[in-house]
Amino acid sequence: MSQIIPHILNGLSLGLLFALIALGFMLIVGVMELINLAHGSLFALGAYFAMMIISPNLVWTGAVGEFWQAVPLSLRYGLAILVAPVMVAVVGMGLEFCMRRTYGKKAEYGLLMTFGAALVIEEAIRLVWGPSEQYLQVPQAISGAVLFAGLIYSKYKLFAALFAAGAIVLVWFFLERTPYGAIIKAGAHDSEMVRALGINLSRLRLLVFGLGAGLAGFAGIVLTPIWGLRPHVGIDAVIPAFLIIVLGGVGSFWGAVAGGILVGLAVGITGAYASEWSLLSMYLLLIAVVSVRARGLLGKKSALEA
Amino acid sequence: MALFEAHGIHKRFGHQVVLEQINLSFESNQLSGVIGPNGAGKTTCFNVLTGRFKPDRGQVLFDGEDITGLAPNGIARRGISRSFQIMSLFDEYSALENLLIALPEVRKRGFSMMRRLDADSEAADRASCVLARVGLAGSEHRRAGDLAYGERRSLEIGVALAAEPRLLLLDEPTSGLGADATARLAELVRSLKSDYSIVVIEHDMRFLFDLADTISVIHWGQVIASGTPEALRENKWVRRSMLGRVE
Amino acid sequence: MDALQAIVGRWVSREMLLFLLVLVTLPIWIEPFGLYQYLGVEIVIWMIYGFGFNLLLGYSGLPSFGHGAFFGIGAYAFGLFQVQIFENLLLGIMGAVAASFVAGAIVACFLSHRRGIYFALMTIAFGQVFWFIAIKWHALTGGEDGLLNIPRPALEVAVTSVGLGSNVALFYFALSVLAVVIVVLWRLVHSPFGKVLQAIRQNETRARFVGYNVWLFKWAAFSLSAAIAGLAGSLFSMAQQSAYPDVMSLHASGIIVMMTLIGGGFVSFWGPAIGVAVYFLARDVLGTMTETWLLWFGLLFVLVVLFKPEGIAGAWQQYVGTGSHRRVASLFRLGRK
Repeated sequence: MSQIIPHILNGLSLGLLFALIALGFMLIVGVMELINLAHGSLFALGAYFAMMIISPNLVWTGAVGEFWQAVPLSLRYGLAILVAPVMVAVVGMGLEFCMRRTYGKKAEYGLLMTFGAALVIEEAIRLVWGPSEQYLQVPQAISGAVLFAGLIYSKYKLFAALFAAGAIVLVWFFLERTPYGAIIKAGAHDSEMVRALGINLSRLRLLVFGLGAGLAGFAGIVLTPIWGLRPHVGIDAVIPAFLIIVLGGVGSFWGAVAGGILVGLAVGITGAYASEWSLLSMYLLLIAVVSVRARGLLGKKSALEA
Repeated sequence: MALFEAHGIHKRFGHQVVLEQINLSFESNQLSGVIGPNGAGKTTCFNVLTGRFKPDRGQVLFDGEDITGLAPNGIARRGISRSFQIMSLFDEYSALENLLIALPEVRKRGFSMMRRLDADSEAADRASCVLARVGLAGSEHRRAGDLAYGERRSLEIGVALAAEPRLLLLDEPTSGLGADATARLAELVRSLKSDYSIVVIEHDMRFLFDLADTISVIHWGQVIASGTPEALRENKWVRRSMLGRVE
Repeated sequence: MDALQAIVGRWVSREMLLFLLVLVTLPIWIEPFGLYQYLGVEIVIWMIYGFGFNLLLGYSGLPSFGHGAFFGIGAYAFGLFQVQIFENLLLGIMGAVAASFVAGAIVACFLSHRRGIYFALMTIAFGQVFWFIAIKWHALTGGEDGLLNIPRPALEVAVTSVGLGSNVALFYFALSVLAVVIVVLWRLVHSPFGKVLQAIRQNETRARFVGYNVWLFKWAAFSLSAAIAGLAGSLFSMAQQSAYPDVMSLHASGIIVMMTLIGGGFVSFWGPAIGVAVYFLARDVLGTMTETWLLWFGLLFVLVVLFKPEGIAGAWQQYVGTGSHRRVASLFRLGRK
């Protein structure tokens, strides 16, 4: 029995990371009834932006870049983790701006629009940073290994889980304690109601899209030191995000968190016994849950299904 | 026995009770009206009777058969056809196609994949007849989405008629229409009276009091009165609950 | 003679003849254009896939983002049949169609009560399951490398046998399959079944209230469309002489949606064909000019979605001045003489 505990811990931390990936996706799907297929590309973009800030291309930046390279890594990393998500948020807002033409049309168009955006962002990454595997540096303080209860953990994974938990708390705070959060929760599926409350709907959408994209970028920065950084790394992110949202229930914050942790546990525990098939467990989990509860674990009846 | 009976229908959404206890019965070859103020549960009641929602309690009988909790398509196939308050047409189809789809003979061959529907002139003739009946002769090939609002209201009834129902339920057929158009629609409904058993939901009392043989009044999720229009006019409960609408 | 013409007319349209004529002559003119015979094979296979897909997307309004799974299942099933059981062209294809139909039918059981983006989410999830199995079930599928050395069995008609080793021969075989698919689908979308699917797309609630079992129609449309994807997949494994998981990825599944939409699958039967041709031409023409052709194609796609969501066919209809509503009406105009 005691052997399984590290796998559970591992699964939990993985689950927090999955939940982090799903959060931005959840916000957008919940408020805008839009599957953001570009979520994965924004995830990758965040990591690339961070890499650009941490170790800028000297050919382009010259002396400034060299000066910056001499600054301690932890400072550069700290800046990157603050600034890169904001940059991604700006890209996300730009995307939302383009999306406006699709509002009020078939839902498929929004979906396809984000698919197109995903292609474009991924190809642009390839164009700018090249197709090969890259590496996102992390400070000494949070890399290496840590010994805990006689077991070796990657220190970075623990920190990543902490980052994820922190982001989850922040989003929770935003949803529960700010007026915008209240609107997002109340009127998630009801744009008429939002309008009736006197909220500027287009500003709300812009904000939500920016926030969702920023969260995707943040997740990218946190996760790519574990997963590696390639232009198509986003696909590894967007798929769990889908599954978690469907599993947890569209538009539910706690659904996304619970879904993420469940998926993490499933992957972590099967990973211990049949590592080859560890990722399949999340699909099977999903199918099992939605066959019994069509709306996912905590999903409300939504405009999306009926 | 009445053609259609509902006993003790109770429906909740979450904690909110929308239908407390509904008892209704509609006779064949009559026009029965259901009225009540907005939010009284009229449309929810229709939705329960036609299978959109399952009632939490109660029983729905059609021609002696228990149809409680059947799916909408099952109820439709038994011969109950309805129109919608919020227009519900196949907007990209022509007026004629809207009716073709609803014809029972087309429905029975719904899974026939290799015969052409547009070569079926018998079905087309029948659909044209229905179209003429609702006053849209000549509009066969106009797209439903391009029709004027009043024409769409007529087509809405046409789709329900095309299914050749034994009981026709009309949900606020005059919704959104001006006085002239309402009068025309009243004529249409009156002309259907001789051939169909009809139930009409309305909040427009005048429309219904002129047409209906019997009327049931729904308020607070219950049937608070029913009877002939003349009798109801004298009923103080009805006057109290509907007065705001008459004058 | 007139009777014969009438029968032919009921099955074949003028556009269809024109379309097939262009394709029949393709091996003659494709090389002078600086392209190659294999491209023709690819285009025809993806057209089959696209037409089948559009039954779901354009006609039923069900956006599947996991259709690559069924294409892949068809490819693997054909390959496994040839390698593990015995070499036979038509039986292999039938096996592939049956396998993808069954897979589609099972998946459709989970999907058919959904619509809109919930439907899309579920198709993605199921698509990923199959993709994942294809990668991991090494013993059966050969993992990431896929199944290699899949033969192109000869076509045996009566006593003669036609080899499909050359790309031109395979092209004509695939083209005849495409012709059958088009004739059948054309007929299908004008049948009561096809008309009901379109009615469900326009207004699912009303379709239910006039008595249709919407679930069953969606299920049938999905399964049929999966079967056609499998048919295309079987031809693809012959063309590539291998079957691999790439075609099942979310990316590949998205591409078929993109082709169908760019071409104008929502407004025209021919939308998928246009989209497939444009995609492959862009790949080969833009591809020779720039490494990142997909970037430009993606941008083009985004612009189409934003400014001309009805796709190329929609733009054409507007140009010709018929307007989509009149086209819809004329498609359905009744054949009373």
